[in-house]
Amino acid sequence: MTYLKRITAGNAILLIAMSLILLCLLAGCSLGSKQITSLEQLNDPEIKIGVGTGTGTDDVVVKEFPKAEIMYFRDETEAYGAVSQGKIDAIVFEKATMQSAVRNGLTGVRIMEETIGEDKKAGIAISPKTKIPDLEGKVNEFMSEAEADGTLKEMRERWLIDNNETMPEIDVPENSEIHLTVATVGIIFPYSYYKGTELTGFEIELARRLAAWMGASLEFKIYDYDGIVAAAQSGEVDCIAANLYATPERQEVLAFSQPTNIAENGIMVRDTGISLANYSNKLKSSFEKTFIRESRWKLFLRGIGTTLLITILSILFGTLLGFGVFMTCRNGNRAANRITSFFTWLIDGMPVVVLLMIFYYVIFGQLSVSGTAVSVVAFTLIFASAVISMLRSSVSSVDRGQTEAAYALGYSDRKTFFRVILPQALPLFMPAYKGQITALIKATAVVGYVAVQDLTKMGDIIRSRTYEAFFPLIAVAVIYFILAAILTRIVSRIELKIYSRQRTREQVLTDIGLSDEG
Amino acid sequence: MIELRHLRKEYENATPLKDVNTVINDGDVISIIGPSGTGKSTLIRCINMLERPTGGQVIFDGEDITEPGYDLTKARQRMGMVFQSFNLFGHLTVIENLMQPQMDILKKSKSEAYETGVRLLKRVGMSGREFQYPDMLSGGQKQRVAIARTLAMDPDVILLDEPTSALDPTMVGEVQAVIKDLAKSGKTMMIVTHEMKFARAICNRVFYMDQGGIYEDGTPEQIFDDPKKELTRRFIMHLRVLELNVDGPDFDFIGAGTEIDRYCMQNTIPSRIQYRIRLAFEELMQQMLQPVLAETPVRVTVEYSEDEETAVMNATYGGERFDPAEGENSLSYQVLKKSVEELTYSYDPEGGEAEASDADTGSSNKFTNTVKVLIRE
Repeated sequence: MTYLKRITAGNAILLIAMSLILLCLLAGCSLGSKQITSLEQLNDPEIKIGVGTGTGTDDVVVKEFPKAEIMYFRDETEAYGAVSQGKIDAIVFEKATMQSAVRNGLTGVRIMEETIGEDKKAGIAISPKTKIPDLEGKVNEFMSEAEADGTLKEMRERWLIDNNETMPEIDVPENSEIHLTVATVGIIFPYSYYKGTELTGFEIELARRLAAWMGASLEFKIYDYDGIVAAAQSGEVDCIAANLYATPERQEVLAFSQPTNIAENGIMVRDTGISLANYSNKLKSSFEKTFIRESRWKLFLRGIGTTLLITILSILFGTLLGFGVFMTCRNGNRAANRITSFFTWLIDGMPVVVLLMIFYYVIFGQLSVSGTAVSVVAFTLIFASAVISMLRSSVSSVDRGQTEAAYALGYSDRKTFFRVILPQALPLFMPAYKGQITALIKATAVVGYVAVQDLTKMGDIIRSRTYEAFFPLIAVAVIYFILAAILTRIVSRIELKIYSRQRTREQVLTDIGLSDEG
Repeated sequence: MIELRHLRKEYENATPLKDVNTVINDGDVISIIGPSGTGKSTLIRCINMLERPTGGQVIFDGEDITEPGYDLTKARQRMGMVFQSFNLFGHLTVIENLMQPQMDILKKSKSEAYETGVRLLKRVGMSGREFQYPDMLSGGQKQRVAIARTLAMDPDVILLDEPTSALDPTMVGEVQAVIKDLAKSGKTMMIVTHEMKFARAICNRVFYMDQGGIYEDGTPEQIFDDPKKELTRRFIMHLRVLELNVDGPDFDFIGAGTEIDRYCMQNTIPSRIQYRIRLAFEELMQQMLQPVLAETPVRVTVEYSEDEETAVMNATYGGERFDPAEGENSLSYQVLKKSVEELTYSYDPEGGEAEASDADTGSSNKFTNTVKVLIRE
């Protein structure tokens, strides 16, 4: 009884803590900050200005507002959130994009009239390692044609100014000898984003037109802005179509086509005039935007599928590999032990995301292996390493006397392990193993770095459309919880099947017809 | 038949077995006794190769099982072992502990294994516990099950490594009864034990182990009633021994006095005996044997028997025949003679060589003279 009470008390505290966090999230934790109305106000040491990593707009900020502090964001959506919640005072970024965001429901912010700095030129970036001969020449030729016949101008008007989201019919060959792999981001409206489960946008149409013009079949891979240049550099993709600015640093490593788009730099500031609307309406509309509109729940489903695929395959292969290595090392083979210790040291000592990127860009850099396959390989190794150390500790905690007793009865070394030691190590092994499964499924959240659209990445994609953090993040968190719970449940079931601790007389004596025994 | 040839086992900082040679005949029931740390357990663990000997051979029915590549599982099936810590398989029920090895190794059918199991549990008095797990049993019950498990494999040889040492004193009896019953079965048995009465009761042969090997080997009557060798005798009689080597007139007598006191304290020797030991030592060494000391060292041993509550002091020395009774210091002799039970002198022209235990003194003196003092409370 007291035990039960303690649990409920613990749960109550947990519940209160959770609801506080949720309330805070909903309210956006707004802190008072003053309204910005003129450019002069921004040139102040108190001011924080956000820019996207690698967009080059930081140069503009340095020039125009030398006193302000620069904050870097992985993508624009995150920066939008930061401004609307008052964490930063302004964003300097492409004006048209920011205007589109406001038109599409981003609230609590205002775009200033002024444009600042030099206009940015975005282009298609071509990988130096592409296998398509003279891709740069072809892209430029295509761009010249498109510029000349007005296609490009019409596209800009349609996507960037009118935000008309209809993708025209473009006949891209299904199977062709030439295969064009294009890196894009999928999170920047209206250039490259998801409408429902469809990848679409200005850059996507451009890439489709390019592929059709070249007679090439087309494949998109989704990266973060952080990793997209590296992907092109290492030859994972042939080119980048992601409204990528031709900054001097990028031009050093990648060739850029003539501009696809010339962008003015605008400033977005917080609009403190807007009060928080009533919660229930806000919640309802957020929910609708996150899950229902454009059937976005399908994106979640796809993400769940990918996350589960990577997790389950890694668990299977990792367990097999870990067990195999453990068995090889068990008999004291010195070389095998050294090699294993070295690799587990290497794997355990590295942040998962770094390991993953090394696999993707360095080890498999030259081979066209999908991000999902690379993720499975990396997480298999990570899981195997954990399995090895868990096996080691659980097996070594079985009393030495058990081995001696088995040997003395005439068991061989192998039989001793499988019949006597392993069954006794398993009850110690399994709880740790289940914990490791939960850890693994969470760790897979970084696969977005290598162009895999898992659950977390899908959450990012949806956030980039709804301009709201709350529902996509909470949904992702809840789904991870559920997935982990389901997986550990399954493992527990299997565990019960292969090893039941308390066997009854009937279970022990199955297959012996001993009806007459008392 | 098991034959041990030049068996040696070295550890990094100890060599419990230096050179063991013996033959164990079929049907022998051997008790292995001796002080702790003399390699008793190591010896039987080397016989079934749970410890790999550093050198030498174990010949089991004509086959050298120490040879690299020899399939030990074959030999071990025929040599059961009972451990001090039982080592029942914790994940299996009592009956499964008996059944599984039969099925895994002897390839018996499940029902056959079950029948054997039930029969043997009955034999060790553990019927009705078939479906319990080992951690629900007492120590004595666990050991009885462990013995039954060993018997289930129908071995020719049974090695028992201190089977009752880990038990509560109240449970020793039940396990000993089972082992006694086993000893009558005609199987070859070797049992390491500290229980002297028990050891004597079950065996037909005793190994007293000391000095890195089987120090004395004999029938229980020989070993327990009339041990031939000094260390065996000390062990059997529960003697507590102090040795002092008085190497000349400059000997540190004060230090020796302190040492005698410490020895008496450690062995809880009654104070009156302690007093007399000191008196005897002083009178002998500082008075009566003074002339001898100038010529030759005197070796003094004090043995205290817990059983009889007596102490014996022996002073032995070489050189010419010298009986302290005939010495100049007759007053001292009279004083001592009165305060002790017995004071005797003997002369043996052959003399005793330095005992193995103090071989490290390197003396090659013949200890021809012996003064023996018997002290009783």
